[in-house]
Amino acid sequence: MSDLSHLLDTDPVIVTAGTDMLAASIEQQGSAVERADWRPPQEGTEAALAVLFSDDQMREANEVAIGRMLAVRPQLVDVKVARDVFSGMADRTFLHAGPPLEWDRASGPMRGAIIGAMLYEGLADDPDDAAARAARGEIELSPCHHHGAVGPMAGVTSPSMPVAVVEDAAGGGVAYSTLNEGLGKVLRYGAYGDEAINRLHWMDEVLGPVLSAVLKSRGPIDLQSLVAQALQMGDDGHNRNRAVTSLFLREIGGALVDGADAPVDQRADVFKFIDGNDHFMLNLVMAAGKLGSDAASGVPGSSLVTVMARNGTDFGVRLSGTGDRWFIAPAPPVDGLYLGAFTEDDASPDIGDSTITETVGLGGLAMAAAPAIVGFVGGTAAGAVRRTLAMYEITMAEHPVYQIPMLEFRGTPTGIDAVRVVRTGVLPQINTGVAGKVPGTGMVGAGLVEAPIECFVEGTNALASTLVRDIGQVSL
Amino acid sequence: MTARAVQIRPSPASPRVPGVASTAIRGMFSDLHAPATVIGTASQAVWVLANDEVVVASTSDATRLPNGVEIAAEATADAFRSVRHGSPVTVGLGQLMFEELTIDVVRWWDPRPALRRISAEELESAIAGLPSTVPDVESGSLLAALSAGSPPEILSAAESLIGGGPGLTPEGDDYLAGALAATRTLGEALGNANAGAVLDTVADPLMRLASIRTTTFSAALIGHAIDGRVAAPAGDMLRALTGRGDVALRHRDLIRVGHTSGSALASGLILGAISLLRSQPALQRR
Amino acid sequence: MISRVEIHQGRYHDSVRLMQASKALQGVAGVTNALVAMATELNLSLLADMGFDMDTVVGVGPNDLLLAIHAESEEAVAAAHRALEEALTPKTDPSGGLDAPDPKTIGTAAKINGANVALLSVPGEHAFVEAMEALQDGMHVMIFSDNVPISQEITLKQYGRDHGLLVMGPDCGTTIVNGLGLGFANAVQPGPVSMVGASGTGIQEMCALLDDAGVGVRHALGTGSHDLSEDVGASSTLQALEALDADPETGLIVVISKPPAAPVADTVRRVAAECATPVVITFMGETTLEEGAGEVLDALGLPRPVYGSWKVPDQDHRPGSVRGLFSGGTLRSEARHVAAPLLGEIGTSEEDDGHTFIDYGDDEYTQGRAHPMIDQTVRVERLAAAGQDESVGVVLMDVVLGYGSNADPAAELAPIIEMVVNRGVAVVVSLCGTTGDPQGRDAQAGVLNDAGASVYLSNAAAALEAARLATTRTSS
Repeated sequence: MSDLSHLLDTDPVIVTAGTDMLAASIEQQGSAVERADWRPPQEGTEAALAVLFSDDQMREANEVAIGRMLAVRPQLVDVKVARDVFSGMADRTFLHAGPPLEWDRASGPMRGAIIGAMLYEGLADDPDDAAARAARGEIELSPCHHHGAVGPMAGVTSPSMPVAVVEDAAGGGVAYSTLNEGLGKVLRYGAYGDEAINRLHWMDEVLGPVLSAVLKSRGPIDLQSLVAQALQMGDDGHNRNRAVTSLFLREIGGALVDGADAPVDQRADVFKFIDGNDHFMLNLVMAAGKLGSDAASGVPGSSLVTVMARNGTDFGVRLSGTGDRWFIAPAPPVDGLYLGAFTEDDASPDIGDSTITETVGLGGLAMAAAPAIVGFVGGTAAGAVRRTLAMYEITMAEHPVYQIPMLEFRGTPTGIDAVRVVRTGVLPQINTGVAGKVPGTGMVGAGLVEAPIECFVEGTNALASTLVRDIGQVSL
Repeated sequence: MTARAVQIRPSPASPRVPGVASTAIRGMFSDLHAPATVIGTASQAVWVLANDEVVVASTSDATRLPNGVEIAAEATADAFRSVRHGSPVTVGLGQLMFEELTIDVVRWWDPRPALRRISAEELESAIAGLPSTVPDVESGSLLAALSAGSPPEILSAAESLIGGGPGLTPEGDDYLAGALAATRTLGEALGNANAGAVLDTVADPLMRLASIRTTTFSAALIGHAIDGRVAAPAGDMLRALTGRGDVALRHRDLIRVGHTSGSALASGLILGAISLLRSQPALQRR
Repeated sequence: MISRVEIHQGRYHDSVRLMQASKALQGVAGVTNALVAMATELNLSLLADMGFDMDTVVGVGPNDLLLAIHAESEEAVAAAHRALEEALTPKTDPSGGLDAPDPKTIGTAAKINGANVALLSVPGEHAFVEAMEALQDGMHVMIFSDNVPISQEITLKQYGRDHGLLVMGPDCGTTIVNGLGLGFANAVQPGPVSMVGASGTGIQEMCALLDDAGVGVRHALGTGSHDLSEDVGASSTLQALEALDADPETGLIVVISKPPAAPVADTVRRVAAECATPVVITFMGETTLEEGAGEVLDALGLPRPVYGSWKVPDQDHRPGSVRGLFSGGTLRSEARHVAAPLLGEIGTSEEDDGHTFIDYGDDEYTQGRAHPMIDQTVRVERLAAAGQDESVGVVLMDVVLGYGSNADPAAELAPIIEMVVNRGVAVVVSLCGTTGDPQGRDAQAGVLNDAGASVYLSNAAAALEAARLATTRTSS
């Protein structure tokens, strides 16, 4: 419309950013105005932002990327053994949470989990032997995220462990995660005592095969639908998974009772195990998230955050438009509540791939859906709603299926935009568990943490430099 | 106009808010203060009767009317809560002064859309996709009367419409107002001088009829429509019909106004447009 | 009759919401029967009872959304789909009854009120990102900020042009759209005149003169002080000119600019000559605003008035040069143009000797404080200093009223004017304002006049009077 009738024929509706005087003078003239509470972007991003906003490429790339993230239809199809699904996984390969890491820099819970996994795989005689071997470089460490997988807390995945296979019914993707061990003294929190190791053996001998048989008997389980229902039942998909785990039990109940090809006592044990673990579904929700994350990655120019993950030492972020690059900052401490006699002095810095839930619009971003846990993560119900409302500022979409009753069934804020994070200084809110910093301790608490701004600053600058290079190539 | 009787002296604490008024009621505000009465209240609007004229003060989420003064607040802000039915008001010197609320008119808008010149073909294609549902009131004769440009027939058709149907502005009134406003404004846009002349002829008898047959408020709106002054969404629709704006979108916005008012107005506008096309010699030949 | 059954896999909604949605669908014209429900056994049997073909629903489960419609036409089916989306989309208060956090960017603010114009006054180095976001969201943009790099201005204006959006600014002080003033703007009566102006105070003075002559203004589109530079090439001015020419409610167009680049001025003249609407061109350096207003009145067939003035009879004053203290750059340059034939050399810097006309709105004097139209501190100081300076015989100053300006400039200036006048200096004020301005034009004039200043509504007339006073004195 070159006649600008959209401007000239109507009373203008105004938004302002900057001095309040200009907004106030519009109100003085009998018109309403909406003010942006604008603040300068993070220092050092000005040039990058100017590049990213110089044309429509980023906006169009973001539409593509978020569209792909929202289009996945995660289905739990099978449970297999890790060495069978991860190509090139040798006997001494250990996957772990977060960005790449070496033993020397590994945190207490990460070391504890690696020690435990080595004992579980029979690669060491005792914890000291395991630590010594790991320190000598006898094992290979590799991030879960490099293998289409995610793992909560330490996220350590060794070759004999059962892993859930989650496929995209709408596309060709597949993602994996370990099965959840429960709370307390468990490997993912860095515990490696007999209790933890024995449980892992039971999981590969009983839990994995029984679930595989159940799935063969009843067919795939639609995870997205379960999560959508659970958000309306008080779950956030990260720190509260009681509803979705209950729904999962109902899904497999029939097949567990009469369909699966397994001894009755094993089937009973599987039921009791899942029933006794409110977080059983966490790993599966994470794998579902990983599907969306992978689907959305690799769109040139997109500032969509596809990965946020921590290894107890570093916090890492990946963006859709910057491919496999990690943008890394020190893992922050968690602001939390502690179990029993534990205090924040016992806590390890932030750890785990479970932030994949926040990456796809769950967890801390969907906090308004889970009033039951707001105390646990340090707040009030009203505060939880505000927390979610604040996240709409930095996200690209409202999830079409994940909805929050408290917000009149508004979709959860989904698809964090790194550029909006550096423009506004609003940081993604993460709900998380806290591991003890001494190897072998296990879980000590849970709480809230904010993703470090440095990752987003670095990511934004790197994204801009990919565009500058592209422009350079075009002009050559 | 000299003020007698009750002069409002607002309490010092009473809020003052800026307002945007229609140029059609500018005269009232340039005169000295004159007494008036609140004849209706709602959360979105307050109706005021001043010297046989109706002024509507409304919130910004209500429809802008040709006899309206709009404030920036929305209905949820309950800005008119202190205004009581039957209470005195003062209008004049740029102000609408209630007992506990004063609106200062700081800006004006013109409810008379000035339309660009268009051809009959353009208008015909603009209205092509629109549904012309006719309200429950008798209306067929209005189309014939307007097409024929016959003042007695128009009056007789209007007689059967005015005051008919539900609503604060009866549906028949809105329908008639739409048809009259379209005849006036689109007639000019088409260069059809006869359309305006016919309206000038029927104006006085039509207003006498309206003053007897319908509410004061509704009669006032018919009076404005004869001169081409309409509610803002109707003005937008008329602009769209002449190539400024999306016709389907503006039609949708208009029919969302009120319970029946918007759709009756829209139907009236479309009927007015059709009658102009029928009386357009070039098209009759086709 | 059309009978349609659709399955939306994995799309979960609570049954109560779905019953509401079914009801909404049944109310759609042309829909004779409809069911929206999760595909539970019960709902499938309902579907069968309603006479739908059950072959299409083989293999569906309670996690799948079922949409079944009996309708008279495809249009009705489409309408039903729209009604379903509407019913399942939240509309009321999506913030849980809590105050949502303030939006932090132009984009998120505009989502709240559906704005079509963004008004930016953020620091110049940050304006580009917000402006570009506004354009990408389909908004017209006014950039009040200055110090935006010229390359960014060109990018923004090109993008706006390509998308039918007007970029007003950077360094755009004044715009009026349908009578609503943005930035520094005067209250205008509705009327047939529209303006395009690369000069804020130029627009304001034109509004004031026309208002005094009883002529109303419809639009005044500011384009920013650099628009008629060679680099920018009048991009926004030409766009606005063409749009106003197409505006049926605009009867006459005035183009105002600070002295333009010569080739650009020629382009503007050529385009103006092609307009169907009469165009009056007022380029500073060639003519005056008073002359431009006169041409407007001629074109409208109205007499040229003697613009309002409040004179001090027989203004006696000491000999000396004219000190011009301006807040409006264009008013300064018009005054200089008018006074130069009488005064000869007129300096524009405080370093200069003799007659000086200074623009205190220039960056040099606004560091760390608001524009002198708001904050008069610097001009009050210089006014007082002029009284002390024996070389000064006449002070000429502008006072700009309107929205955005100081709420009561006369009250601040009057005591100083009185002091200066008492020391033998003649004070001439160019009062730029309309009768509707919130400060009260005539009241302001009265206060200034009572303090001993001669007040003129026409800036040109004020300049001429100041020059006359200075020269009559020296010549006598």
